[in-house]
Amino acid sequence: MSAAREMLCDTARAVLSGATDIAPVEEAGFALLLVPEDEGGFGGDWSDAHAVLHIAGMAAPDLPVADLMLSGLGEVSLPYRAAATVSLMAGAMGQALSLSIDHVNTRQQFGRPLGKFQAVQQSLAVMACEVAAVEAAAAAMAARLDATGFDIDAASFEIAAAKLRANRAVGVVTAIAHQVHGAIGFTREYDLQRVTIPLMRWRGEHGNDAYWAQVLGRQVAGLGGRGLWESLTARTG
Amino acid sequence: MQGFALYPFDPPGDVAALRADLRGWLAANQPRGDVVKRANCWASFDADFSRALGAAGYVGMTLPARYGGGDRHPLERYVVIEELLAAGAPVGAHWIADRQTGPLILRYGSEAQRQRYLPGIAKGELYACIGLSEPGAGSDLAAVRTTARETSEGWRINGQKIWTTGAHLSHVILALVRTEEGSERNAGLSQLLVDLDTPGITIRPIIDMAGHHDFNEIFFDDVLVPHGALVGERGQGWKQVTAELGLERSGPERYLSSHALFVALIDAAGADPEPAVAGLIGELTAEIWTLRQLSMSTAAKLAAGEDPMVEASVVKELGNAFEQDMPRRVQAIVTSGWDDASDLAKLLRALLIASPSFSLRGGTREVIRGIIARGLGLR
Repeated sequence: MSAAREMLCDTARAVLSGATDIAPVEEAGFALLLVPEDEGGFGGDWSDAHAVLHIAGMAAPDLPVADLMLSGLGEVSLPYRAAATVSLMAGAMGQALSLSIDHVNTRQQFGRPLGKFQAVQQSLAVMACEVAAVEAAAAAMAARLDATGFDIDAASFEIAAAKLRANRAVGVVTAIAHQVHGAIGFTREYDLQRVTIPLMRWRGEHGNDAYWAQVLGRQVAGLGGRGLWESLTARTG
Repeated sequence: MQGFALYPFDPPGDVAALRADLRGWLAANQPRGDVVKRANCWASFDADFSRALGAAGYVGMTLPARYGGGDRHPLERYVVIEELLAAGAPVGAHWIADRQTGPLILRYGSEAQRQRYLPGIAKGELYACIGLSEPGAGSDLAAVRTTARETSEGWRINGQKIWTTGAHLSHVILALVRTEEGSERNAGLSQLLVDLDTPGITIRPIIDMAGHHDFNEIFFDDVLVPHGALVGERGQGWKQVTAELGLERSGPERYLSSHALFVALIDAAGADPEPAVAGLIGELTAEIWTLRQLSMSTAAKLAAGEDPMVEASVVKELGNAFEQDMPRRVQAIVTSGWDDASDLAKLLRALLIASPSFSLRGGTREVIRGIIARGLGLR
């Protein structure tokens, strides 16, 4: 990560951690992140936006940080909103995993931490794989948006694939996070619902599984079987 | 493992040209044959194809030129193997030797071993098998009981290996054996490189549920091999094997075993598929695109000299689930009889039967999840 992005992330963490309303986030100027420098903005790239939204998904999933950031681009279409949501989802899933690991390493049952039980270990391994997949999908989607200069048509494949992959991970991630937490995770007081409820909401927003599966499936049908591989390799690597 | 950051996949040279050259070569040289051979193609043994591939410079690519290799970057090899797998090329004969035995001999082997084995491996002519599992040691690999005693004439090996893929078609086995009498678990193990025509070795077939002869059991009955058969350091076999396993867990073969079926599904669906088929194609596309990012990122980390043990296990776990679920998901959606003559039906049946092995080979799902759990700090 570049030094500039590290600084951006430090700022985002400072502003977003514990934030309860959007005003301080607005004051910090995040609406200008994606606005070009010659238009008075910060001229950030999509990977910068991804990094900030990842932190937002982790630390302040209830605040409309994606809307704020996209407002700098004027009226934007569904794929932009889907792309921003994927980054929020990656952050929120990472947070759900962190909370789950902390919980099973702390909570004792039958005389040992829950994390020492193989059944719990295997569940969390499954969850970690889903989170890693969404992290990779979100980062690769952001890289594609940067490579195409935010060209939503050129990046439509990656946005569809990333949002669909993230949507499909939501069921597994929220289910395992709640299962390993037991009753405490089902309380309003505990932090887990702060990320799992937004994840449930985001799965259906800006294109649910069926929507993006049809978009992507029809696009790939047009490419043909061999054409899919040629397209995959032409897009990355 | 806090946050999965993508590691840049950036091979040297002109990657587009490398792909284009290989695609051209495959168009001229890939055997047409039975479409089913394109499924799980890294288990398809075709010595003629392997030799031709070696002559074209696509085997032993990362080995030094002085041993007949191509002096190429590991990520150039990655590009080549993902292209071969996506095309369903029959790469099974040289696969193990090219992927792990060759690199392991280069890293730990003696100069004599390198000169003796590496040129044949790079030509696509010398094939190797992996001697790890035993009747009492599978997932519990440290339970190895096959022994090798050092004598004045060399090493005397006694014991048995099992589930040895391709042993009947290979020239050499890299066997994990107990060299220190009375040693336990992962101490006292060493790796020996044994020519399979050595007297005292018996290879017997085990026919798998698809009716194929891939597996074997191998008996070592007072087999005498020279002192120079020892690979690397005596007693360090466990460490060497662990490094070897890292090479085999995150490659593109961990998610592309069923790719021929995906190609057939897309082609059979046509340009205007019905919604259920379009939806399945979309879901599978999202998976394969994501897996490719994960696998390339992990390969780049490996190539940079890091040890991405957990990431490699994530690739294997997700990749195996994908390639194993695919035939089941396709069968649930498409209308296709068990014995239909279409490519789609033939591939579907072959992969439904082959796919239980995908989450067994190279470390079972449960072992892999255990490695991931340890990476999370749970064990």
